Amino acid sequence: MTDVPFGAPAPARDPLARFALRLALTLAALAGLLGLALWLTPYAPTQADFLDRLSPPSAAHWFGTDQLGRDIGTRLMYGMVWSLGLSLVIATVGLIVGTIVGLSAARSGRLGDFALMRTTDSFFAFPELIAAVAFAGVFGPSTTNLVIALSIVSWMKFARLARSLAHGLDARDFVIQARLNGVSAMLILWRHILPNVIPSLLVLWTNTWSRTILSVSSLSFLGFGVQPPTAEWGAMLLDGKPYMQTAPHIMIFPGLAVLLSVLAINLVGDRLRDLVAAQDTA
Amino acid sequence: MSPTALRLIGLVVVLLGISLITFTLNHVAPGDKATIIAHARFPEVMTFSPDLLQDIRAEFNLDAPFAVQYLHWMSGILRGDFGTSYTSGVPVWDIFLGSLGETLSLTLSALTLGLGGAFVLAGLAVRNPGTWVDTVAVFVASIGAAMPNYWLALLLILGVSVHLGWLPAYGEGTLAHMVLPALTLALWVMASQTRLLRSFLLDAYAQPFIETLRLRGISEREIFFAHVVPHARAPALTMIGLDLAALLEGTVIVELTFARSGLGSLLAGSVLSRDLPMMMFLVMFFAATYVIINTTIELLQAMSDPRTRRIAGRP
Amino acid sequence: MPRPDPILSLDSLSVRIGTTALLQDISFSVQRGDVLCIIGESGSGKSTLLKALQGLMPATCKRFQFAPAGIDVTGEMSAKIGLPKTRWVMQDPLAALNPRLSLGASIAESLHRQERAAPELRAAVMAALAQVELGPEFYDRLPGQVSLGQAQRACLARALIAQPDLLFFDEPLSALDALVQKKIAYRMDVLRRTTRATCIVVTHDIGFAESYADQILVLRGGQVETYQTCEAFFAAPASPYARDLISAARALGALRGVEAAE
Repeated sequence: MTDVPFGAPAPARDPLARFALRLALTLAALAGLLGLALWLTPYAPTQADFLDRLSPPSAAHWFGTDQLGRDIGTRLMYGMVWSLGLSLVIATVGLIVGTIVGLSAARSGRLGDFALMRTTDSFFAFPELIAAVAFAGVFGPSTTNLVIALSIVSWMKFARLARSLAHGLDARDFVIQARLNGVSAMLILWRHILPNVIPSLLVLWTNTWSRTILSVSSLSFLGFGVQPPTAEWGAMLLDGKPYMQTAPHIMIFPGLAVLLSVLAINLVGDRLRDLVAAQDTA
Repeated sequence: MSPTALRLIGLVVVLLGISLITFTLNHVAPGDKATIIAHARFPEVMTFSPDLLQDIRAEFNLDAPFAVQYLHWMSGILRGDFGTSYTSGVPVWDIFLGSLGETLSLTLSALTLGLGGAFVLAGLAVRNPGTWVDTVAVFVASIGAAMPNYWLALLLILGVSVHLGWLPAYGEGTLAHMVLPALTLALWVMASQTRLLRSFLLDAYAQPFIETLRLRGISEREIFFAHVVPHARAPALTMIGLDLAALLEGTVIVELTFARSGLGSLLAGSVLSRDLPMMMFLVMFFAATYVIINTTIELLQAMSDPRTRRIAGRP
Repeated sequence: MPRPDPILSLDSLSVRIGTTALLQDISFSVQRGDVLCIIGESGSGKSTLLKALQGLMPATCKRFQFAPAGIDVTGEMSAKIGLPKTRWVMQDPLAALNPRLSLGASIAESLHRQERAAPELRAAVMAALAQVELGPEFYDRLPGQVSLGQAQRACLARALIAQPDLLFFDEPLSALDALVQKKIAYRMDVLRRTTRATCIVVTHDIGFAESYADQILVLRGGQVETYQTCEAFFAAPASPYARDLISAARALGALRGVEAAE
C-alpha cells in the first residue's frame, strides 16, 4: 500500500453497511409487495369452496385449490408470514440471547466462563427438532410452544461464536489502546467489541433463519408445530398429504415455497459471508 | 491438568447438564403427574379414585421436592434403571433396544450412501474445476441444503411409488421398504456434505506443498489420494460430527414420513401418549449420543494432531 | 551513566511468569526531551518491557519513578492499566485501530479521561490530524479506507493529541514500506523537536537508532546487554554482541540508508 495524495476522493462507505442497507430495502419492498398481494387477492386463506375442491392451477386459482376448495396461492402468501416470520423471530431471539451469553462468558472469570459455556454445550447437545418435539409433547403442540421451544435451542451457536470472537478481539491492539486510555469495560464492549462481532453474527443469523424455516415447517408437517387450518407451509403439506396422489399440486407448491425461500436466504447469507471474509483479510 | 482430562470433566458436566435440562422439562410439565400416569395406564377409564392416584404418587415418588426427585431419578439412571414406560409398564430401556436396530440400520446405510456420493461428487468437482461437474456439484449442494427432507420424501413417494410403482411407499419389513427412506436421508447427507467436502478439498489443493509435488512429476491421481484426501480428512470428520444433530433430526422426520418404526416414531408416539419416561429417555439418548460422539472425534483429532502430520507431509 | 533530574527512572525491573524470568534487573533513566532506543532481537523482552511499564503485565522493581504522574513506587509495580501522561504507538497501525471506528473517533479516544465537549474534541482531533499532515477528510474515514502509512500517521496523532510527557514507540516503522518509513521517521523527529516530548523507542533498526537516539539500551534474553549514549555505542560498543549488531547493520547498508534520508 502506498500513501494516496490528500486530495483523493473519499472511498465509498463500508461495503458491508451498503449491503445491509440494500438487503433491508429489498426485504421492505418484498414485504410491501406481499401486503399488496394479500390486499389484491380475491380470496381469504380459510375461505372454503366445496364446489371447487382439489382443482389444478387455473386462471382463477393460479396455484389450484386444496381439499376444502381454498385458494392455495392465497394460503401460500399468508403462509409466508408464518413460515418466514416465525423463524425470523426465533433466529433473532437466538442472536440476542446468544450474544449476551457469549459476551458475558468472555467477560466472566474462568469459573463463570466454564459454567456458562458448559451450560451452552448442554443445550447445544439437543437436536433442535427433537427438543421441539419433546417440548410440544410436554406442553401441547401449538404455535406459541413451537416458538418457545425453538427459541430455547436457538442461541448456542451465537454464544459460542460471540465468545470466541470477543476473546480474539481482547488481544487486539486497539482494545489494549482503549484500556490504556481508561475506557471502561462497558464502553469497550459497546464501541470496540460489539461492532466487530456483529458482522460474523449476522452471517450466522441468516444461516439460522433459513435452518429455522426448515425446522418450523418440518415440525408443523409432523403435527408438532403450527396447527391446521393455519396456512403455514408445513401445516399445509400435512393437511394435503392424503390428497397428494390425486392432486399433486397440493403438495408441490408449499414444498417449493420452503425450498425457494431457504435457497434465497442462503444465497444472501453466502454473499454476506464473503463480504465479511473479505473485510477480515483486508 | 491435561487437556484430555479437562475435556472429559467437561463431558461429564455437560451430560449432567443434559439430564438436568431433561428432568426440568419433565418436572414443569403441566397437569397432575399421577393423573397423566393413570390415563396412560388405563386409557379407557375417565376418572380415577383418589386411592389409585395416591398409590401412583407413592410409586413414582411424586410428592418429594425437585432435588430429591432428581437425585432419585439420577441414581436410578446410574444403576441402569431408566424408568418404566407409563403406557406399557415395560422398562423404557427394553422398548428402546427393540427400536434401536431399525433406526441404526436406516441411519448407517444413509450415512454410507450419502458420504460415498458426496465424496465422489466433491472429488470430481475439485479435480475438474470450472467444468459442468463442478457446476452440478455446487447446484446439488445448494439445492440440497435448502430442501425440506419431508418434502423430498413425499416427492420420492409420489414419483417412485405412486407413478412408477417400483417400490412400496409406507411401512417396513422388506429391503424394498428400506430403499426410499434410506435414499431420502442419503440424498440429504450427500447434498449437505458435498459443499463442505468440496471446500475442504479445495483448501487442501491450495496448500503450497501440492505445487511442489506437481513439479516433482507426481501424478494428479496420486496427489489426490495420497496427499489431498488425507489433508481434508480431519476437518471433514469434525464437520460430520457437528452435523450429526441434523442427521438424527433427519432420521426422525424420515421415519415418521414413511411410517416406519424406530426411535423417531417411538419419540412421536411417546409424545402423543404423554409417556414422559419414554420421551425423556429418548431425548437424553439423542443429546448424549451427539455429545459423546463429538467429544470422541475431538479427542481422536487431538491425539493424531493434524498439524504435526501436515508438517511431516510437507516435502 | 545516570544524569540529574530524569523524567523516568527505573531500577531493577523484573517480570516473571511462573518460574520463567522474561525480564531481569532492567535499569535505565531518561532525561526530558531525550530519545531512548531499546534494541534487541525478537524474544529479547522489548515488548514485554513496554507492557510491564504500562501495567499490562505483573512486574516488580527496586524503584520506579515517573515524575510527570508523580509516581514513585518500590517493590510491586502498579497493577493499574496505563501509565498516566504517556501514550503508546504500536507496530501495526491496522491492528491498533478499530476497523469499524472512524480515524477521528479513534484519535479522540486518547482524550477519553478528559471528558471534553464534542465541538472542542473535534477541533483538537482536527489539529492533531494537521500535525501529522492528514487532511480533515480523514476524520470520517475507516482504517480500511486509508493506506498503511496514513493509518500510522493517525496512530501518531492519537498519541500526540494527549500532549504526553513521554511517548512509547513499539517498532513504529517495521510494518511500513521503505519510502513511507522515511517520511514517518522524519515526521516523528520534527514533532519530537517541536513538542519537546521524551521518547522511548523499541526498534531493531540500528540505522534509526543512530539517527535519532540519545541513549541506546540493548536487551538480550531479558537482560540488559549494553546501556550507553548513542555516540559511545557507535564509537565503542560495550559488548561483543553490540559490536556484531552494528557491523551486521553496516553490512546490510541500514546505517547509511537512513543517513541519506536525513
